[in-house]
Amino acid sequence: MNWPQLLVTVLTLGSIFGVVTLSLNLQYARGGMINFGIVAYFAVGAYTYAIFTQPPPQGLDQYKFGFGWPWWAAVIVAGLAALVFAAVTGWPTLRLRGEYLALTTFAFAEVFHSLLLNERRIGNGTVGLARVERPFGDWGPIEEKYVFAGAAVLLLVATLVVFRRLLVSPYGRALDAIRDDETAALAAGKPAQQMRRQVFLISAVPVGFAGAVYAMFTTLAQPSLFTAEVTFIVWIALVLGGERSVYGVVLGTVGLVFFEEIVRAWPFETVRSAQIAAAVEHVVTGLVFIAVLRYQPFQAAATRLKVSK
Amino acid sequence: MLLLQFFVSGVATGCFLILATIGFSLTRRVEGFLNIAHAELLGVSAFTTWWLNAHHGWHVLAAAVAAVAFTALVGLGIARVVYDPIRHRGPAVLLITSTGVAFVIGGALHGLIGTGIRTLDIGLAHRYEAFGLRVTSHQLIVVGLAAAVSVSLALFLNRTRTGLAIRAMAVNPELAASRGVNLSATSRATWLLSSGLAGLAGVMLAVLATLTTDLAFAQILQILAVAILAGLGSLYAVILSGLLVGVAMDVSAYWIPAGYRPLVAFAVVIVVLLFRPAGLAGTRAA
Repeated sequence: MNWPQLLVTVLTLGSIFGVVTLSLNLQYARGGMINFGIVAYFAVGAYTYAIFTQPPPQGLDQYKFGFGWPWWAAVIVAGLAALVFAAVTGWPTLRLRGEYLALTTFAFAEVFHSLLLNERRIGNGTVGLARVERPFGDWGPIEEKYVFAGAAVLLLVATLVVFRRLLVSPYGRALDAIRDDETAALAAGKPAQQMRRQVFLISAVPVGFAGAVYAMFTTLAQPSLFTAEVTFIVWIALVLGGERSVYGVVLGTVGLVFFEEIVRAWPFETVRSAQIAAAVEHVVTGLVFIAVLRYQPFQAAATRLKVSK
Repeated sequence: MLLLQFFVSGVATGCFLILATIGFSLTRRVEGFLNIAHAELLGVSAFTTWWLNAHHGWHVLAAAVAAVAFTALVGLGIARVVYDPIRHRGPAVLLITSTGVAFVIGGALHGLIGTGIRTLDIGLAHRYEAFGLRVTSHQLIVVGLAAAVSVSLALFLNRTRTGLAIRAMAVNPELAASRGVNLSATSRATWLLSSGLAGLAGVMLAVLATLTTDLAFAQILQILAVAILAGLGSLYAVILSGLLVGVAMDVSAYWIPAGYRPLVAFAVVIVVLLFRPAGLAGTRAA
């Protein structure tokens, strides 16, 4: 097994998905919103980046738009697009709470996925957009994949810093107050509904950025990359890391990605054994998920730490 | 005419959706959470039927009965081992846990069955024609079964002791317990019933469709659509909303490509939720 390659991949993908998990954590652990359609915001970022960087359609291309913008402008637009998508989907859904919200966000993600799949004018339908632009070349003696991993880590760190600043500010404390006791927070003059909506919008932006970076990494924007499975994986990572713990969430994501990449990179002799391995990966992921939710080891550890301090 | 034909097949689709959703809604109503793994139970049942029928040469009816019983027990087992110990953590944790259960069952099916297309060892469906419209015998079976299940479920919940206990527990567990309802026995009965219904829907899935291991997961989207539309936890509205979603999906194929079927289902849901946030039944089940 090629360990350095594996580690770079884990670092890159772990950082990209770490950004998504962090945003989900902000929505769930701070805002009390269950977003079961997070993959859609991720896909919006990826597709926006692909569409804005690719050349105008020619030959067999079925997509309608290609703007050929520079990569940095497209990344910014990807974040904005995720914000707009969050505003559009948040408007009808955020009146709902709890499981109704979970289901409608899930529904929106499915509708969006189905749209990407069937509407060839957006991104060639099932085929997807290939050869998405990858901005970084070799950086002197440093190979491109290391530069890229560095960029992904940078995005993760930036997200972490911004979210941390936000959460320790008075704004963050007001959010905690709303989550813990909405009636009391309302009585203290905190606009609960409005602030939840703001959190929903703010947290969508990094997800859009992460989607753009993911499109660069795979050089592909294809509907099959953005299924409900991504949502579940991110949720599992969130639960693995222990909700409300920012570093735990990142660690959980990296751990999960590491586990998946090892299964993927393992040299299997036959197709059947690879199939069984993929199935076992699913089963183990599910079992870990169930066990973590039941015993909550990370939360227990966090409480112990606090007590001993 | 073609439009009417789509309508007829939509009714059959709707009846399948009723079968698939009613167990899901029962779980939501009594146990109080959304069991995402419900759809995977359809897969368990469908592949048990296939395994007994196509592999071991059982008659399809015997295979179906065995599959439904097996699925009911699997559902009960999962509930005992996985859901019961964490029930105090609330519906959100249960909902997320059930996606973990869906992963486990789905992965196990992939591992045991493998990829590829399977069909039951039964003859092709008979076609009947009337007024220029065609229906197959399989579609008629689904419609009949959905009607029979709806009626017998209503009778069961209203007339029998266990049924009344289930309804009492759904409304107020503490009060029910103080009036002498055995909560754990009632919960067991609910799980057997809802998983058995999933089993029945799974058999129908095996009869109607060619089986692949990811087919079961695809069903959860439609089940969710029907359940939200009905209003989570309401049972009688499932019948109406199942038919509505089924007809909307199939009739829409008249104007737009069939690939948009799931989109149509959720578009209906989103529109309804905008105007009636608690679904068709209109009352918010707590």
